[in-house]
Amino acid sequence: MTDTVTITIDGQDFEVPKGMNLVDAAKLHGIGIPVFCYHPKLDPVGMCRMCLVELGNVAIDRTTGAPELDEQGNPVIRWFPKLQTACTQTVSQGMVLRTTSDMVVEGRENILEFLLTSHPLDCPVCDKGGECPLQNLTMAYGPGESRFIYDDKIRLAKHVPLGKLIYLDRERCIQCARCTRFCDEIVGDDVLAFHERGRRLQIVTISDPPFDTKFSGNTTDICPVGALTTTDFRFGARPWELTEVSTICPYCPVGCNLNASTRMDREFGGKAMIKRIMPRQNERVNEIWICDKGRFGHHHSRHEERLLAPLMRNKSGELVEVEWPAVYKAIAKQLKAHGDQAGFVGDSTLSNEDLWELRRLAELSGGSPRLGLWPATMSGGDVVAQVGVGSETRLQDLGPGSVILVMASDFEEEAPIWWLQVKQAADRGAKVVVANARPTKLDRYASAVIHYRYDEAVGVLNSFTAPLLSGDGQLGQGNGWGALQSDLQNAEVTHADTANLLASAENLVIFLGSEGLTLEQHAELMQAAANLLIVSGHVGRPNNGLIPVWPGANVQGAWDMGFSAEATADLLANPPALWVIGGADVAGEDIRMATALEQAEFVVVTAQFMTPTAAHADIVLPRQSFAERAGTYTNGLRRVQRFYPAQGPIGDALPDWKIFAHVSAQMGGPRPPVAAGTIFRDIAQRVERYIGMDYTRLAWFEPQFPDVGGDDLYYGGTAYSNYGGLGLQWPAEAEAEQPQFSVRPVRTAAPQTDGLTLVPVWVLFDRGHLFEKSELMHHRMPQPYAAFNPDDAARLGLTDGDRVTLAVEGHELTVTAQVGDDNPAGAVLLPRRLSGDATLSTPAACTVQKIESMQKVEG
Amino acid sequence: MNLIRGFATTIKHVFEEPVTIQFPEEERPVRERFKGRHALKRYDNGLEKCIGCSLCAAACPADAIWVEAAENSDEARYSPGERYARTYEINMIRCIFCGYCEDACPTEAIVLEHEYRLSFNDRVDAVYTKDMLIDPVPPGGQDTPQVTEPGKFTRSIPEMKDPD
Repeated sequence: MTDTVTITIDGQDFEVPKGMNLVDAAKLHGIGIPVFCYHPKLDPVGMCRMCLVELGNVAIDRTTGAPELDEQGNPVIRWFPKLQTACTQTVSQGMVLRTTSDMVVEGRENILEFLLTSHPLDCPVCDKGGECPLQNLTMAYGPGESRFIYDDKIRLAKHVPLGKLIYLDRERCIQCARCTRFCDEIVGDDVLAFHERGRRLQIVTISDPPFDTKFSGNTTDICPVGALTTTDFRFGARPWELTEVSTICPYCPVGCNLNASTRMDREFGGKAMIKRIMPRQNERVNEIWICDKGRFGHHHSRHEERLLAPLMRNKSGELVEVEWPAVYKAIAKQLKAHGDQAGFVGDSTLSNEDLWELRRLAELSGGSPRLGLWPATMSGGDVVAQVGVGSETRLQDLGPGSVILVMASDFEEEAPIWWLQVKQAADRGAKVVVANARPTKLDRYASAVIHYRYDEAVGVLNSFTAPLLSGDGQLGQGNGWGALQSDLQNAEVTHADTANLLASAENLVIFLGSEGLTLEQHAELMQAAANLLIVSGHVGRPNNGLIPVWPGANVQGAWDMGFSAEATADLLANPPALWVIGGADVAGEDIRMATALEQAEFVVVTAQFMTPTAAHADIVLPRQSFAERAGTYTNGLRRVQRFYPAQGPIGDALPDWKIFAHVSAQMGGPRPPVAAGTIFRDIAQRVERYIGMDYTRLAWFEPQFPDVGGDDLYYGGTAYSNYGGLGLQWPAEAEAEQPQFSVRPVRTAAPQTDGLTLVPVWVLFDRGHLFEKSELMHHRMPQPYAAFNPDDAARLGLTDGDRVTLAVEGHELTVTAQVGDDNPAGAVLLPRRLSGDATLSTPAACTVQKIESMQKVEG
Repeated sequence: MNLIRGFATTIKHVFEEPVTIQFPEEERPVRERFKGRHALKRYDNGLEKCIGCSLCAAACPADAIWVEAAENSDEARYSPGERYARTYEINMIRCIFCGYCEDACPTEAIVLEHEYRLSFNDRVDAVYTKDMLIDPVPPGGQDTPQVTEPGKFTRSIPEMKDPD
């Protein structure tokens, strides 16, 4: 049995993989079979009939079972009497296709003539015009004129809002069902459907609120006509006028590859601005999908509230505009004066180059540098370096035999595209195990769901590891095995079935978040996951290992550059006199940080906006957004990816690395580098994991299959071919030829006390200081709330909608209570970044006080 | 002999009416199809014909046209249909008056008129904006933006004749 079969297309023989459908098989060898409804990422349905081909099979003699041969000794081909849809037929040995015969040409002409009977001729105003599969295929295969009577054209509504982000033009729709199938098959959100029949068939949204999915923008990409358009781009430009710039999403650890479509605009002072964000194909990262946060969250890059000049406090304590050289001198003076009394914090939106220059500055300041990262919610950068997923892991390769454990994470809110890929893996037959203290959306695709109390998280992983520790193990002595064995010999095996499932998995990937865990608890959880992976042997190869659900785009890069969440915690415990904060809105997100900054002697902040953190600062430095400069981000799969400048600079803002490098120069450091690439060269020489990388190598790309974008818009919609680079992944230590593993017993957390714990949780559409600037997304951002378990609520006398005061560590927060069965007992779930008020970034004990009436509060 | 014939021609022309005209006091009428400065046309009701499709800019061999589009609403309507030109600029120093824009226009909104007296002291003055290019509102029409009846102007492209 070979894995390929030979088929003949238009007289030429080709080897193609078994089980492939004919459209893909032809495409693999550069032969285009036009399609509308078929999409390489979706199941075929054969609705549009555009892919009709003449198809023949080798005739088999029924008496002998051997192929029939003609007089010349060639196999006899038995042709189907009618044209067949290529997308619904899979290849078989000896199959013969004709894709250019008269019958096929006529078939295509007729289908196009029919599709165009009621399609409006408004290509000049259509956003798809110029990159429209229907337009292109009509030009290539259309009949030229129609026999249908123009007056019989059906007139339908042209401006139907499907939610506030997507508009539907019913006339343009050719009923290919790509959008409804995307929502059903890929996302699993039942939000779009067909209504009526025949020529009246139309797309409707059936959810409340309408089109309620986090991935709605993708439907506009795969739509083969201009029926679906986004509010963001509508009439923004014609496609041929746009310049595509490769960039990376600055929001979550997935690190989606994006294309920023830019064009000059009078309303932006005649400068190039981002008109829309499109996905850029990277089959190793985001395939061709992006979430709505990445797609519509680019407005902060040119928001009118952007800081334009450096600000410094004058003698009367007001922030006034100053020149760059003056602030460099002032910062250098302060750093020299404080010596080793300085603390440095880098945000997850800072690029590797920014963080590196911040570290160089910290090293110049004297003492051992204290390098904190933000958000400081997750520990375990060293664990990831050891047992992170193997290089060349592709989530889309996970299928039957693979097990995916998602733990302590509200996955769809924290890493939407990973959620999407795990959901699809589950559909393909991978087993998904979801462990969390509360139900999450992934539960519905899970083979096993484990609900634990937040303090039991480590115990759950230990109970998976314990049964595997019988015997000496393959790791030998001296690596903690014995200690782990004796520690876990009495461990309670609570989830035996799931433990078996994990242990017997061919591939095991663990996604680990930090919901409900303090930093110390999370460090233990990461180690517990490492123990499980090492003991069960699921490390050091592709599709196996740990993927941390980091709380930001470049948290992995920050660890690589020497920053850590532990250092942030240490900075909070022993606050420095001088803070240098890169990009992060620490005071806006965490009340502890706000207090620490208030007490600090001197605070230097780089910021895009006048955030609460910037308001605390003595020097505020305007930083450039991701759209204005070059750099690299390292995603949760440890893939280092380049982004390029899409927009011109705004005001006097500078990239963070330049600011830090100039201050370093004032401190007696080297001359500032001229470009981000120079810094990356420096990183590649000094950071072991990045050795051998450079900007040229990061920009490598190869043809990817399915081949979307480019000239083949019809095939996959308008997602873009990747010419900006596929990035490079640094290998985990487990991938070394003779890896040194070390396991160790982990401490389980002390059981929760009777009181309530405030548990910060993530929501995707939050009011973080960058995403908040996308006003068109405000309707998707929930009102601030705190979620209670019904039992806790009853005890406290709370009902849904009550106003409550949460007292935590001497601070008070006022929010609206939300009571729901899904919320775990003993915890108050408080979403981060939903209001302008700072909350907490890690869990803490809290007390709850109901506010009896609004009047009382005011009085 | 040839000499006499030559002078005779000269003398004949001395008594003919001169072809020179006293520009700018006097102007010679241009031909019907003369391609001069562009104008953006309006419908009789005052709505702009231009729908901001940018096909003129795409057709322009000299890259002289700049269009930025925006969305119409019934409360503020500039043109029929969903789209109108928010910005429309032609750089008259770049323009070579070839008329491709006129050919490309799906709504016959841009027309090369007979105005040819174009001179500038400054490059920036050569950029004609939408206000400078658009025709005055015809009698009985209304200036844009107009408040219009919902559902009346849903189509950008005027009705075509039945292709027989």
